[in-house]
Amino acid sequence: MSFVFRMAWRETRSSWGRLLFFFVCVAIGVAAIVVLRSVIQTVRNTLTREARLIVGADVVVQTQRAWTGDLAPKLATVVADPRVLAHTDVVETQTMAQPAGGKGTGGLRLVELRGIEAAYPYYGAPEIEGGRAYTHEMVANHGLLVQPDLLREFGLSVGDQISLAGAPFTVRGVVARDRIQRSGGFALGPRVYVDLADLRALPLLRFGSRATHMVLLRVSPDAVVDVTQFARDTFRGDTVGVRSWRTLEDRIGRNLRTSENYLSLVGFAMVVLGGIGVWSVTRVVVQQKMRSVAVLKCLGATSGRVLATYLLQVGWLAAGGCGLGVILAAIALAALPQRVIVSLGVTAVGVTPSAAAQGIAVGLLVSLLFALVPLLEVRQVKPLLLLRADTVGTVRRRTWQSVVAAAVVLVALSLVAIWQADSWRAGLYVSGGLAVVSLALLGVSRLLVAAVRPLARSTHFPLRHAVVSLRRPNNQTGVILLSVGLGCFFVLAVRSLQSNLIHEFNVQLGANAPDLILIDIQPDQADPLRAAVAPYVRQPASLVPLMRGRVVGVEGKRVQLATLEDVRKQGEMTREYGITHRVSLDGNESVVDGAFWSTPLTADATPDGLDTEVSIEQDEATRGMVSVGDVMRFDLSGRVMKARVTSIRKVLWDEAQNGGFVFVFRPAPAVNRATQTFVGFLALGGDPAARVAVQRAFLAVAPNVSAIDVREVLASFREVIDNATLGVTVVGAVTLVGGVLILIGAVAMTKFQRLYEAAIYRTLGAGTRLIASMVAIEYGVLGLLAGVMGATGALVMSWALATGLFDIRWRPAPGLLAIGVLITTAAVAVVGLIASSEILVRKPLGTLRGE
Amino acid sequence: MIELVEVSRIVSSGSVQLTILHPTSLRIERGRSVAITGPSGSGKSTLLGLVAGLDAPTTGRILLDGTNITSLNEEALARLRGEKVGIVFQFFHLLPSLTAFENVLVPMEIAGATGARERAAALLAEVGLSDRGHHYPSQLSGGEQQRVAIARALANDPPIILADEPTGNLDSVTGRQVIDLLVKVNRDRGRTLVLVTHDPELAAFTDETIALRDGRVVDRRSQVAAGTVAMGGQP
Repeated sequence: MSFVFRMAWRETRSSWGRLLFFFVCVAIGVAAIVVLRSVIQTVRNTLTREARLIVGADVVVQTQRAWTGDLAPKLATVVADPRVLAHTDVVETQTMAQPAGGKGTGGLRLVELRGIEAAYPYYGAPEIEGGRAYTHEMVANHGLLVQPDLLREFGLSVGDQISLAGAPFTVRGVVARDRIQRSGGFALGPRVYVDLADLRALPLLRFGSRATHMVLLRVSPDAVVDVTQFARDTFRGDTVGVRSWRTLEDRIGRNLRTSENYLSLVGFAMVVLGGIGVWSVTRVVVQQKMRSVAVLKCLGATSGRVLATYLLQVGWLAAGGCGLGVILAAIALAALPQRVIVSLGVTAVGVTPSAAAQGIAVGLLVSLLFALVPLLEVRQVKPLLLLRADTVGTVRRRTWQSVVAAAVVLVALSLVAIWQADSWRAGLYVSGGLAVVSLALLGVSRLLVAAVRPLARSTHFPLRHAVVSLRRPNNQTGVILLSVGLGCFFVLAVRSLQSNLIHEFNVQLGANAPDLILIDIQPDQADPLRAAVAPYVRQPASLVPLMRGRVVGVEGKRVQLATLEDVRKQGEMTREYGITHRVSLDGNESVVDGAFWSTPLTADATPDGLDTEVSIEQDEATRGMVSVGDVMRFDLSGRVMKARVTSIRKVLWDEAQNGGFVFVFRPAPAVNRATQTFVGFLALGGDPAARVAVQRAFLAVAPNVSAIDVREVLASFREVIDNATLGVTVVGAVTLVGGVLILIGAVAMTKFQRLYEAAIYRTLGAGTRLIASMVAIEYGVLGLLAGVMGATGALVMSWALATGLFDIRWRPAPGLLAIGVLITTAAVAVVGLIASSEILVRKPLGTLRGE
Repeated sequence: MIELVEVSRIVSSGSVQLTILHPTSLRIERGRSVAITGPSGSGKSTLLGLVAGLDAPTTGRILLDGTNITSLNEEALARLRGEKVGIVFQFFHLLPSLTAFENVLVPMEIAGATGARERAAALLAEVGLSDRGHHYPSQLSGGEQQRVAIARALANDPPIILADEPTGNLDSVTGRQVIDLLVKVNRDRGRTLVLVTHDPELAAFTDETIALRDGRVVDRRSQVAAGTVAMGGQP
């Protein structure tokens, strides 16, 4: 064994610089794994540790309705349970805020209101700027606590006033850190704390308004799980959610562990790319080491010992690469801006031991697995080649051992992927996908190389020889095309998709499309509001009646659901729907079965004694097995409505400018009696002054109404897309860097052959310029082929994602792809030229003597 | 002792069967020095490769000190070479990544011998390269590289030394130094020396000359009176 160690050390000593270069590619992948896992593990550990602080209570029960009707006694049962030690009410809703008292910028902003009582919260009180401790006194009697962004936007400070739904509130403090999360969904604005009694006094919680009513429970320490279950049992069948910090802890742990595992696959893919580089260089090294292997065999070394020597060499170079990867990860994490770290909900991120161990293990395994197959060739090296020069260039033979070894390596790589993803399915998908993509890219690269073969007959000398060089023995063409092409593909695919998505949003926000949505308009506010906004809108405001209801029965041809319980058992149409009524189809709707009414129903009931008619959306009708002629029963906030299905509509959801509805009622006296609000759709255009003016105008007549600015929401979406694009672009760029490293290494590997060729060319009269142009054209062609491969893949991928996943119209981005191909071509040519500089300056005599 | 019994080597070149060595039998007693001569393509190196176990005969048996090496697999042959055979090549074939000292050390390390470093130093001194041990092959002249190769061939003190055109890549003065070294090893240490050469002057330094042409032994001549020679398989 000592011989193996000593020989491995001596071999490494002479060639480590050349070989370690390839392990830098592995290092980049390892760094990616370590960074991703470290960040997510830190976030997970912090969040699960702080789960109780994030919930603010032991158990929370919440609903979108007030605790009235049948919910009231059930809630009373829960809070009366002896295991419940205390409870407090919280209500969350949205409203428009603006500076009051003549101060500030005069801006308007949708804010998330949280109304709280004195007992709030049981855990994790908001931290107030200036180091003051939070007390309920800060919000009592029309006080409020705000986030710093809002004060900055409004140009206000503590002590100034903000108007909420027409009532002035005094800013009593600024929340520096608030760990308690909102009840669900996305925040549409900054959070503002008010006293619950003050919130109830505002006209914001009327029937039909968008509010979340929560009750926070503090329970005996050992009863969290039991009380959670008890509350769930009590509210079974109601749209009441029950959660606890324990369930949050589980969910965070589960979700983040899944994210960690799946994101690690990104790193794994990059390590595999590095592994392909290792495979490629090992293959060349084996070719170059054939004589040494033969000598060792002549001196009595068995194949096993020779193989062990080179495997050990790969092993510790890989270990060096992995160590470098961990160092790179530590540097990357240290360089993370504080803003990003805080946005993750943690205070600091460093390399975690488990992430480092996993990264190193994956790097080592992948390196050894990829090196194994080419290294097995040393078994075939015959010592006879030392006597007979004609046996040196032995043709690589595929033996059953190498086939078995390749199969074992593939299985082992799949197992590593499965281990990383902690999922058989994801691991197999990724390893299978990588294998398919790699084989496809290698296949395409061969086709492309074959396609440019006719250029080898070109009359242009440098071009002819550049194309011939692509097929030189031990060429790295396939590997370079694979690695550079893959990086180019990542970057171009995500950029193409980004341009498609942004274009789609811009189309949706056409000149006359509604761009301000008003919610919670009460029926008596509809006409005054319509009049108030009329001077500012490009077309009359569209006010759509909105009722909230659930399906509680169907008497149909194909399905008979007598009760709500039957509907639940069927598993379709179980959610609460937003329902409207009107006498005409919207522009994005068409009838596919039956007929849509054109007039309201004036009689109190239909001839067959029902309340009205209903039209149902096609997909929902198919899933719920509802047909034209069926009778459906709805519960509209406690009022039961019976309606016959008279039409089935197709709805183009993407083109819904006034929202989209699954159920539309025929207007009728019974429908009008149901509780309803209106949603307003206003088309304002991009003028910010008009937008502020119209919001002032409607707040004057309807102070409770909230406005969602579609332009702002789209801007946020755009930001999210930009961030996601940036993330994937970074991955693509790192892949490209890996590709360039492999390119540089590949140039180094074929350097001796190139030096010899260049020396021959020089003796035949070629100058440095001619040789440089041959090299530049060779790598330019390589870059062009890689760029074409990447761009083609990006085209296909952006089409597949646009039409399959995002369901948007696909637009190719030829300009972007062309620029991508050009940049790749130039980059590869320049890198190839720089890496080949020694070939250009070396004197021919020295090289030829050396030969 | 080296013994070949009806050994032949036939290779396929496409559909054509090419006989490189016709059935040959010969015996070389322990301690003898033998030169195998002949023009290019006569089968000299093939014969040497067969004796070294680097190639397998198509027919016949080869015995080294009574061991039939034709029945051994590659691994066993490697071990046998490490123990019984030292080889000197025309192109030296030193390991380029190792220093001269380490090149001499390697066979002993493979065999797991004790006192390897001392012996390597002694062998380098014996070939007159004590002060060049830390140099890499690329830093040595051709003659120096060949002397290192001889030291390496002697590392495990093998009973048989095989040399393939050991002076073929050297100038005449350096070649003479190398041949003196090999003959000294044969005479002083009593090692069997088989030398492949096309140079009659070089062959004259050995006890006996076997001449090959077109894969057949065409002449066998003794330079000294001593020695036992047995021949067979002649056409």
